[in-house]
Amino acid sequence: MGRKAFVLAMGAVGLAGALTAAAFVAPNRAAAAAPAYVPADAATIVAHVPPRDPREVAERQALAAAPERVELAVELARADIQRARSLSDPRYLGRAQAILARWWKLPAPPPDVLLLRATIEQSLHDFAAARTDLDALIAERPDDAQAHLTRAVVATVRAEYAAARESCAAVARLAPPIVAATCMAPLNALGGHVAEAYQGLAAALEGRTTPGLRAWAMTTLAELAIQRGDEPLAAQQLQAVLAVDPEDAYARAALADVMIAQHDPAGASALLAGYEQIDNLLVRRAIAEHEAHGPEAAKLAKMMHDRIAAAAERGDRVHQREEAMFVIAVDGDAGRALSIAKSNWAVQKELADARLLVKAAVLAGEPDAADPVVRWATQNGITDAWLDAWRRRLP
Amino acid sequence: MKALAILLLLTAPAWAHKPSDAHLSLDVHGDRVTGRLDIAVRDLEGALSIDDGDGQITWGELQAAAPRITTYIEQRVAIAADGTPCTLDLGTAKLVDLSDGAYWAVPVSAACTRTPHTFDVTYQLLFDLDAQHRGLVHVDGQTVIMRDGAPVHIQLGAGTSILSFVRYGIWHIWMGLDHVLFLVCLILPSVWKRDSLRKAGREVFEIVTAFTLAHSITLVISAVGLLRFPSRYVETAIALSVVAAALNNVVRAVDARWAVAFSLGLLHGFGFSSVLIDLGLPSHELIGALLGFNAGVELGQAAIVIALLSFLFLMRRTLAYQALLWAGSSTVALIATVWSYQRWVA
Repeated sequence: MGRKAFVLAMGAVGLAGALTAAAFVAPNRAAAAAPAYVPADAATIVAHVPPRDPREVAERQALAAAPERVELAVELARADIQRARSLSDPRYLGRAQAILARWWKLPAPPPDVLLLRATIEQSLHDFAAARTDLDALIAERPDDAQAHLTRAVVATVRAEYAAARESCAAVARLAPPIVAATCMAPLNALGGHVAEAYQGLAAALEGRTTPGLRAWAMTTLAELAIQRGDEPLAAQQLQAVLAVDPEDAYARAALADVMIAQHDPAGASALLAGYEQIDNLLVRRAIAEHEAHGPEAAKLAKMMHDRIAAAAERGDRVHQREEAMFVIAVDGDAGRALSIAKSNWAVQKELADARLLVKAAVLAGEPDAADPVVRWATQNGITDAWLDAWRRRLP
Repeated sequence: MKALAILLLLTAPAWAHKPSDAHLSLDVHGDRVTGRLDIAVRDLEGALSIDDGDGQITWGELQAAAPRITTYIEQRVAIAADGTPCTLDLGTAKLVDLSDGAYWAVPVSAACTRTPHTFDVTYQLLFDLDAQHRGLVHVDGQTVIMRDGAPVHIQLGAGTSILSFVRYGIWHIWMGLDHVLFLVCLILPSVWKRDSLRKAGREVFEIVTAFTLAHSITLVISAVGLLRFPSRYVETAIALSVVAAALNNVVRAVDARWAVAFSLGLLHGFGFSSVLIDLGLPSHELIGALLGFNAGVELGQAAIVIALLSFLFLMRRTLAYQALLWAGSSTVALIATVWSYQRWVA
């Protein structure tokens, strides 16, 4: 090695050392490093908020004057829950909870409060509390269709299929046939009757219904198609849902999953471009772009890391499913993904969670870690094309 | 319509925002606590109705609400050091853009009657508005999550690992331009005269070692309290040492620059120690802090020297280098003279 090269190498080493040290010395919290500034002028718009509704303002004042008026609190909390959904902003769930604070810790609050409390608990992934509240509510109001439907969802997530069937049967008494069919079909499919469940739901979809219900039923139908291993059909159905409502984030995520599974990550990335604000879509775009070696892979991975860090900083573990997906596909760290997938499985037990745990266990070389899923599948007679393919890789 | 309402409650939510967070970042320097509180503008709207009702919050609307925001914070945030309340002072707020939108960023300072070893932080912002709000208190390398209005007891020093002092040491040598310039002036001629990298390297090594030894000795002596001088004298003397080292390159008075590094380096150790003394560490923490801090100073110094040495060696035969040696040293001497004067009269 020439002397000049040696000197250059030493210089590079010194520079690298200095840069490493700089990274080490720099404040380690992004917020602390973010520079504060003064906007150019007083007219600069710094934030958008929902326009104030005069009626709601009046109701808030009335509630402040008489905080025991539960009917006012319920109406205001319901408006905030709707707002959380329509704006995709979970902050309004916390506001709904705060409005109900007076009743939040009561063992037996009024039925209307029970329903809202269960809805908020479900969104915060406290499924056990939601289940308890819904059981109490149904004991008091056995004909509450909404309570039964929410209970069916919560029980399914907890792999309590008998309770879920019970509630779907009640829904069949209380709601239009399409709702009952969409409630029951996934349970029948999980129980080993995928083909019949698919036919039944497809038949129910023939009738007239509202666009919202139709989208829900069609998305469920596509999920059954995936379960049968017919991904091209599922893709067609999800595209049909999106053609009617491009803002349907759930259908868009499902379609992206199908495209990634079908080895079309570039197509999935294009499908999700511009939707990075939504967590469920960002994670899928980051994975798709990574697998397609796209130009935005690094940027999207950083965005996702930042969101995971921000959630962890406040002690949230709501997005474990998405986090495990990301860690497997982008970080390539199957060991860490497995530990997240395990703790996710303790909270929610949907098909997607089962697939994730098995995949992580196989890739991490720890087949025993998949035992809970294998047991769950055996006990409940679960059939799923995707899951079966991965289970064949277990010894 | 009934069915549609059911559906709204059902569909798996796809969130496009974080839940509500606020950040309170605090730095402790002796009995002074400084930092910043960042609150989401959208949360302030919920708590204080800042918007005129059109759904758009302008900077003007925020500024008009500033006194109300200040009162709101003052009524709901409190800090006590070792059980004694500190006086909280809120500065003029600016804005900061975090990943989730604009935040009201208000400088916070607190005067405590003593150097705290524990903090009791009371944080009651926004919980009555948003039950999922979290106050994230960053202090001393720890993050404490406030989940409700209950006061939280924070043990300081739990996060003051030796590593944090290493970090502090590196930071200090890089920010302390005087120490770096002193060293640079001393090693500049080594490269110029020496044609062999090994000889040049050995001379630089001798100088750096002498400087390190000298300032380590006085750093320890001063930090443990054996010998201390008022900082005005120390700081002025350090500036003068830079003048001397720079002038030595112009007039070539002393050739054994390692001796200069050692003798004047003794002064710099007293300067380093004032940083540690200001922290008011209890004696059982001092040894670790000293070791970590000194290691950080040496690391920061080594990184600068290695990078600089390579660069200078490649440049040593160029005209720019001659200019750098003479003109640069003269300029440094001039600047350091100004410093000496400023530090003496300050």
